[in-house]
Amino acid sequence: MKEMSLKKDNVKGLCLAACNQWETYVPIEEMGQDVQFVKINGKDKVFSLDNLNLDYQSLLIGPKVIGFPQLESLFEFRGGKLTETVQPPRKKLLFGLRACDLKGILFMDEFFKRSFQDIYYLNRSADRLLVLVGCKRPPRDCFCTSAKTGPFLPLAGSFDKPEESDFDLQMVDIGDVYVVEIGSRKAEEFVNTYSKFFDRASEKMVAQSKEAKCAAEQAVSLKVDFDKAIKNFCQDKVPEEIYERLAQRCIYCGGCLYVCPTCTCFNVFDETIRWASEKENVGCASAHQIQEIPSLSGEIKSVGGRRCRNWDACVFEGYTREASGHNPRYEKWVRTSRRYEHKLKYDYLTTGKSGCVGCGRCLSSCPVNIGISQVIEEVSKI
Amino acid sequence: MKNEYIPHPAIIESIQRESFDTKTFTLAFEDKDLADSFDYKPGQFVQVSLLGVGEAPISISSSPSRSGLLSLTIRAMGKLTQSIHRLEPGDRIYIRGPYGNSFPLEEAAGKDLYFIAGGIGLPPLRSVINSVFDRRRDFGRIRILYGAKTPDELCFKDELQIWKKIDDTEVLLTVDTSYENWQGNVGVVTTLWNKTDMATSYGVAYVCGPPIMLKFVIEKLLTSGFKDENIYVTLERYMKCGIGKCGHCNIGEKFVCTDGPVFTYSQLKKFPLKDRAIA
Repeated sequence: MKEMSLKKDNVKGLCLAACNQWETYVPIEEMGQDVQFVKINGKDKVFSLDNLNLDYQSLLIGPKVIGFPQLESLFEFRGGKLTETVQPPRKKLLFGLRACDLKGILFMDEFFKRSFQDIYYLNRSADRLLVLVGCKRPPRDCFCTSAKTGPFLPLAGSFDKPEESDFDLQMVDIGDVYVVEIGSRKAEEFVNTYSKFFDRASEKMVAQSKEAKCAAEQAVSLKVDFDKAIKNFCQDKVPEEIYERLAQRCIYCGGCLYVCPTCTCFNVFDETIRWASEKENVGCASAHQIQEIPSLSGEIKSVGGRRCRNWDACVFEGYTREASGHNPRYEKWVRTSRRYEHKLKYDYLTTGKSGCVGCGRCLSSCPVNIGISQVIEEVSKI
Repeated sequence: MKNEYIPHPAIIESIQRESFDTKTFTLAFEDKDLADSFDYKPGQFVQVSLLGVGEAPISISSSPSRSGLLSLTIRAMGKLTQSIHRLEPGDRIYIRGPYGNSFPLEEAAGKDLYFIAGGIGLPPLRSVINSVFDRRRDFGRIRILYGAKTPDELCFKDELQIWKKIDDTEVLLTVDTSYENWQGNVGVVTTLWNKTDMATSYGVAYVCGPPIMLKFVIEKLLTSGFKDENIYVTLERYMKCGIGKCGHCNIGEKFVCTDGPVFTYSQLKKFPLKDRAIA
């Protein structure tokens, strides 16, 4: 299918029309100029698109939260009875992704599919349409051209080929109009379904889109030698001294890992609701249904609640601390080395891809100005 | 797609006290079909939980060659294990698994077997030991070297006596601190090397214990002629999921939960030193 065009004036209409069929997520500017992906079709209403912002610089928390929320319930329990809280798969439209974030999503897909499949993540990502809006003004800290993850992604040669593009739709901003590239059969169906919003792109528009892509690529000013750094990591050429120096500055807040589009580590914990008396229990569950378990103080109390998982970070001291107190990664520099080697060595050895997509969020969110780009740059010069 | 995070209720059938802080819990799944179909290999572990308290990986101490119930030998150490210690027969506990790889026994057929355990490291080895004794003729001589802090802290005291009486089997015990009536050896587990013949080039060693013990035992095994690939070590790590997702147990590019917990020394020595797989 040839390139299409979408007038900027039509974007809101398209999203509103699509949200009848698709659970639709779009970047919305919140108060204070933070932009984040928001589901526009809530339980009973469709949220306003007045604050839709497709020109955002960077999202503080990327779209990884859509598949892997910061906190989620694995199951609920009451009276010794478990209730699964896994969501059934729903068609999802992610509209307005940046190329680096899209690469991050694909990286996470692969991880959660590996060996034991993670039903919570995979159900959320089962049927998805990924609409990329390429960066026009790349943020200062990003280095996607070095990581080969943007600002635009290549379109596969033809649909008869088995390999499809990473995106379903890729939109290139050329002024009042987006030129829309179609990367999958699913995307082709989508465009046909909502054809009233799309037009054929003229040859002039396509030419303009190519220029816009080149301009965006040139606007990415931060460049690092990614391949050389990965090679040095894989050949164990990185001296401990680099990590020790970083460890002196790092405050181990874990922020860089929470915002990282490929970080998947989580903690699991139980949250309990305790009823002090029969009275308070009315409307929850009958007393005999509630499993009685001994609490730490040895008292028997009625317990209901849920098992949850939430994001965790390998730089935390408690991350590897065992019940006995033994902690194989007690030392800070060892945790720092894990943090960078996981992304730039182990991910590469396991998947053939780097775990860093070059979004630069770790640097922009760091209170002490450490970013993976600096580490890559230093290691590439060894 | 199976939801791997959902645990299954099991009833505590019996509780055996091993020492002041360690008990063996024998469990039966409430669901009949699951009870019949549940299968595991020596060296594997299960995720054990109490709803409202938490979940932790615990190695299986019973043997699959002895049909029926699942046994877990648990030391009261953290929040969850202390709570489990307050349970009584008839109480409910939650289990999912089994997870992880196992000690390969087929490769060891015909060879001499050496089991070396420290403290709470014996339970996972007990699963292999009893599997081996159930087909005793398939293996050569057997040596079990076991150390604990004090005589009281030795697990499976009755079973140690039974094992001693099995053909061509030696059980050597040691404690760090002795009591007046202790007749056995005093010292770390490697001091048992002088008490028996450990020199071999075709023996297979199965090791489990605290990281510092692993370091010294492996050194001793290597000087006694054991080959790297014939030294099997089971590792312990903080884990949350047991299925290679939560990330806590990673060492290099491996996950202890899915690539391990059993590793050969050939694998272990490739791990980054700073990850402290062994002390």
